[in-house]
Amino acid sequence: MGSPFKKSPWVIHYDASSCNGCDIEVLACLTPVYDVERLGIINTGNPKHADIFLVTGSVNEQNKEVVQNIYQQLPEPKVVVAIGICATSGCIFRDCYNIQGGVDKVIPVDVYVPGCAARPEAIIDGIIQSLRVLEEKRQIMSSMSGSIDQMIVEKANQSDLPEILALQKIAYQSEQEIYANSSLEPLNQTMKELEQEFRSMTFLKVMVNGKIIGTIRGYKQGETAYLSREAVHPYFQGKGLGSRLIKEMESYFPLTNRFEVFTWFKSKRNIYLYEKNGYRQFKTEQVSETMEYVYLEKIVKAKGSQDEEQ
Amino acid sequence: MLDLPGGHVRGGFLMKTILIIMVYLIFAPLLGGLLAGIDRWISARMQARFGPPIWQPFYDVLKLRQKENIVVRRSQNFYIFFFLLFIIFTGGLFFAGYDLLLVIFALTLAGIFFVLGAYKASSPYSFLGAERELLQMMAYEPMVILVAIGMYMVTGSFYIADINSFPHPLLRYLPGLFLGFVFILVIKFRKSPFDLSMSHHAHQELVRGIITEFSGKTLAWIEIAHWYENVFLLGIVYLFCASQPLAGCLLALAVYFMVILVDNVFARLKWQTMLESSWAAAAVLGLGNIIVLHFLR
Repeated sequence: MGSPFKKSPWVIHYDASSCNGCDIEVLACLTPVYDVERLGIINTGNPKHADIFLVTGSVNEQNKEVVQNIYQQLPEPKVVVAIGICATSGCIFRDCYNIQGGVDKVIPVDVYVPGCAARPEAIIDGIIQSLRVLEEKRQIMSSMSGSIDQMIVEKANQSDLPEILALQKIAYQSEQEIYANSSLEPLNQTMKELEQEFRSMTFLKVMVNGKIIGTIRGYKQGETAYLSREAVHPYFQGKGLGSRLIKEMESYFPLTNRFEVFTWFKSKRNIYLYEKNGYRQFKTEQVSETMEYVYLEKIVKAKGSQDEEQ
Repeated sequence: MLDLPGGHVRGGFLMKTILIIMVYLIFAPLLGGLLAGIDRWISARMQARFGPPIWQPFYDVLKLRQKENIVVRRSQNFYIFFFLLFIIFTGGLFFAGYDLLLVIFALTLAGIFFVLGAYKASSPYSFLGAERELLQMMAYEPMVILVAIGMYMVTGSFYIADINSFPHPLLRYLPGLFLGFVFILVIKFRKSPFDLSMSHHAHQELVRGIITEFSGKTLAWIEIAHWYENVFLLGIVYLFCASQPLAGCLLALAVYFMVILVDNVFARLKWQTMLESSWAAAAVLGLGNIIVLHFLR
């Protein structure tokens, strides 16, 4: 017997905008003529039960957040199939003032099914193609979670930066969910900005099976070492990786008496993580109407007494 | 599974009871899953579709076990674990031949854990599902208790082992109770027109109602609990004709088929209609049967 994922793909369907032609064709797949249930495909209507996210139509300003929200609620492993040319590229609507473009402008897309409207046969084929991606993701997920004890923490190189940036964008999605706001800096950082940071900061990476699953960076200015942009892949969160990264990073600044980090006011998990590692809140800063920064510091009395500090 | 010789258990053969419970633990979910697969296949044929393979429910559950488990609060899964545990306990008591009243109480307790789990998830969809589940429990509970009373009146015992070894088919004395029980089975099997708290079919107005906030392994538990529950409920149907085991099994299968047919024929009704009609069924068919029985004896 093969993977159960291949035999039981549950989908959720969202029609973003455009003419609804593809929307109707997706529903046509469920009718007796095409009957996708014979392949085990069920239209769940609930993201938390689904494996495959079918999006039709180009994404506009108003439903950008809806698409992201549904995507975030799908449990891993998950794949996204963009159905129809509008979902693929925005097509004739791409220059409209309110259109973001294809679905891949807002969430990562795994399979594209072009067509206007995409025929039910093509849609079913797209879903079947996506099963291979789903299976790959499942294998990565299980092989990585089986080898968490073999992880290596080391300094990152310039060549790791693209992977670190990708990881950062995956890891900070949980924050985006909290604030319903995609303008958080880590999510919008460009490769150029990251390269600039790399010149002035120390980057650490956590490797498992040749893949980077965690990262942190830090730099020293005056008497204080600043830690920032800690990111752990969602598959590996809650396994003590965060604390380990903080400790490793601190050890790169051996003669430092004061460490400082900042996070956002609603990120209780981050604040808890830092407090567990000896950090204390010392100031907050209102940066906009809806956003407040929380600054935490850790004072080390003498060299080598970090443990007593807690 | 349905014709377990519960009649000999009460003699104190502990080994035999343990054996029956082991057989139940292993085969009830297999049978339940198979019945669910057959249900989907028959439903598809009724709708002029090809339908999924018979083993589809097992593929679904195997897949769900490998999915990420997203929760609103961790404790919501804890309640669902107890829901599964008490459903298994209910069936275990039943097939081991113990007290029918205790079985009914265990079933109700299991249902309450399910509702609490959905409340814990604090989402409007699961709240509404949980409230409707409570309404469903209110709707079917009187009838279930009347069945126990009716069986006691005929056989003189609440013990399932005794009811099972009663020499005549109970259907002869309890036709009203039987019909009433089949009526509320539509609620228990979560079928249209009474699939208010959660529907097997997507895109109904409540999304998935009570199970909206459950994913991954927890959703698989709910599915397995449903299999155990279905086998247990068909076991009660079997009791109505336990003196002829083959006829009893056929009766259970016929009832299952009828519930599937009803599911495909009816659209969902309002909860008021469900409550009124199932209480009316309990009062007329259930209570009426008991009153007649009382005067005839």
